[in-house]
Amino acid sequence: MKKNPIRQLEITATDDGYCLRFYAMASPCEVLVASKDNQLALTLGELIADEVWRIEDKYSRYQATSVCTAINNSGGQALAIDQETYLLLNFADTCYQLSDGVFDITSGVLRQVWQFDGSDNIPRGIDVQKSLENIGWHKVVFDEHQIIMPNHMEIDFGGIGKEYAVDRAMIIANEFTQLPLLVNLGGDLAANKPRKNNVPWQVGIEHPGFIERKPMVVSLLKGALATSGDAKRFLFKDNVRYSHILNAKTGWPVVQAPRSITVVAPQCIQAGILATLALMQGPQAEGFLTEQEIKFWAIR
Amino acid sequence: MQLTHKKAPINIKAALTIATSALLGTLPVIANAADDTMTPAKAQQESSWDFESAFLYYSESDRVSAAEAVISAQKTLENEAVLNLKLTIDSLTGASATGAAAQPNVQTFTRPSGKGSYQTQAGKTPLDDTFKDTRVQLNAQWTQPLAEKYTGSAGVHISKEYDYLSLGVNGNLAYDFNNKNSTFSVGLSYFQDTFEPEGGIPLAFASMPLAYDNDDDEYSIDEGGEDETVNSAGKTAFNATRRTDSDNKTTADIMFGFTQVINRRMITQFNYSYSKVDGYLNDPFKMLSLVNSEGIAQDYLYENRPNSRVKQSVFAQTKYHFEQNVIDISYRYMWDDWAIDSHTIDSRLRIPLSGQSYIEPHIRFYQQSAADFYQPFLAQSNAIPGFASADYRIGEMSAYTLGVKYGMKLSDGNDLSFRLEYYRQDPKNSGYQAPGALAEVELYESVEAIIAQVSYSF
Repeated sequence: MKKNPIRQLEITATDDGYCLRFYAMASPCEVLVASKDNQLALTLGELIADEVWRIEDKYSRYQATSVCTAINNSGGQALAIDQETYLLLNFADTCYQLSDGVFDITSGVLRQVWQFDGSDNIPRGIDVQKSLENIGWHKVVFDEHQIIMPNHMEIDFGGIGKEYAVDRAMIIANEFTQLPLLVNLGGDLAANKPRKNNVPWQVGIEHPGFIERKPMVVSLLKGALATSGDAKRFLFKDNVRYSHILNAKTGWPVVQAPRSITVVAPQCIQAGILATLALMQGPQAEGFLTEQEIKFWAIR
Repeated sequence: MQLTHKKAPINIKAALTIATSALLGTLPVIANAADDTMTPAKAQQESSWDFESAFLYYSESDRVSAAEAVISAQKTLENEAVLNLKLTIDSLTGASATGAAAQPNVQTFTRPSGKGSYQTQAGKTPLDDTFKDTRVQLNAQWTQPLAEKYTGSAGVHISKEYDYLSLGVNGNLAYDFNNKNSTFSVGLSYFQDTFEPEGGIPLAFASMPLAYDNDDDEYSIDEGGEDETVNSAGKTAFNATRRTDSDNKTTADIMFGFTQVINRRMITQFNYSYSKVDGYLNDPFKMLSLVNSEGIAQDYLYENRPNSRVKQSVFAQTKYHFEQNVIDISYRYMWDDWAIDSHTIDSRLRIPLSGQSYIEPHIRFYQQSAADFYQPFLAQSNAIPGFASADYRIGEMSAYTLGVKYGMKLSDGNDLSFRLEYYRQDPKNSGYQAPGALAEVELYESVEAIIAQVSYSF
């Protein structure tokens, strides 16, 4: 289990404003504000960090008191949920439908058989098959007020939580100020408007695991970016590279997927899901995004 | 939402945009009633006022023109209650058909006030050109969730014109079920209208009296003596044709509605409404020509309509969101105990031009049968019927509207739109033989109008 580092906020001055750094969701996070008002920047940073930490506390599967943990420990009994959780489940449901079941927030139990540590440790087919018994979003019953999670099944908001936090942070910030700002939670990010009139934000996108690569610098006027894929997390056996992107229907990794995809969309959660859905297309990942007229960068 | 496998729609991006709007409580791309299945996540926060404003200009060729300004303000309160206030001001000027038939000679009519007269040229449809009015209308509507799955709404309406006052109340209850994919609603409304026309309310089938005081005759007041006597006698004669100064009508409506979200692209709606109107339903300014066997007008008699009307209608609407475009088609069938039935087909297609703008063509067809007491004129050879009106608006007719709307999102996020429409109404003969001179004139004159509108929301 991961241990939470101390929750604190650091402020540093930049060329035309302030940068506020904090740590959440196992990632370094930063907020860039184009304002010389130190106090305002700090308040904004606090508002955003609090919101991100709130979401982390509520939906992290690593936190014993989270809603996620409560759902996973409900033992097949109906559990009351609030509106926010319902909306998140609803969104996950849409993603499940759109991907025809390939994206499934109950697929986390596959981690028990798949450990992507760079080794050649491919699980036996029978073990994968056994895990699949405890996967299947269609077996979960939920409505606006409760969820019934079948025994032995688990959900995991890992695939959407961080992106959701970016969007929520942006909403909170926009209610507080009209100033240009950028929220970056470990590479998933969004900007509300250009840094200055027609001057884009320059964002370095770190591709997790690509040690040899310099961060890719992307110009963003406004909107959101999210990256899916991790070059370090794979298995390699008999000349086949098994990516950590698992098809929830088969329980097996998607083959010939790009190692990383960065997608641009109006909202971060959209960008994140599009990147993930694209990776799940394997060799057709780029084609899938091109067809939808979506701006992206892929690394193979 | 059902947890069944569905074939992924081709446009995943669009589907995700809608899902994201639902999750984040941001405005969805397509605004329609179905989106209330997507309760905003941040509905807990009190929003600021949202304003919508519109200016509309309507102009019939040679007849009425109207200018209308609307401002509507909406606020969502902490408990998800929504308050909507709407102020409408419109101003009408121009000429409207009196119901009298065109003739091969010049005709002289008394103004509704009795003070003065006007003339209609040979072959022309008689129009009363004193039509001038300003109306101020205020609506307030309060909507709020009442209990789980129930939404209630109540409102008041007040509308005042120079000679007209309308007061109304309404209440509506909506019940969501099937995971908010279905909504059933029932609404009631009640209006009380008071009409106090210039010159009072004429007796049914009274002959149009002579004018007793000519407005243009500036020195008539100073002359005194004889003229005063003439005016006084004229006024007495005029008043003899009047029943009262003002009269009322009441309207009670009940409406049942059913809305069904078919899928994330399609929504349908069905309504049934029953409306009962009681009281004074005549138009005090409308009359009928009483013609002889040669078709020449001998007299003009004020119209008379029944004092109750029961209207029913059914309405069906479907909106479908394609990859890009949104189509909206509706059909209404209305029937009443005056034997009027009407069909309306309305369709709009919204075509996005870019992320920031759209164009929306609009086509509407309307067809109506005549009221059983409608007749374009009265014949001297026949007995006066119990009810009769020559108001073309309750005669047989067809109409269509062709229009286009262009809307854009401004850089500050506000919406601006322009609408331009052409409207044409073609009254039809529902089987009356026109004797003599009436066969030579146009009894069923078409009406054309142009509608221009600018809307801005902020």
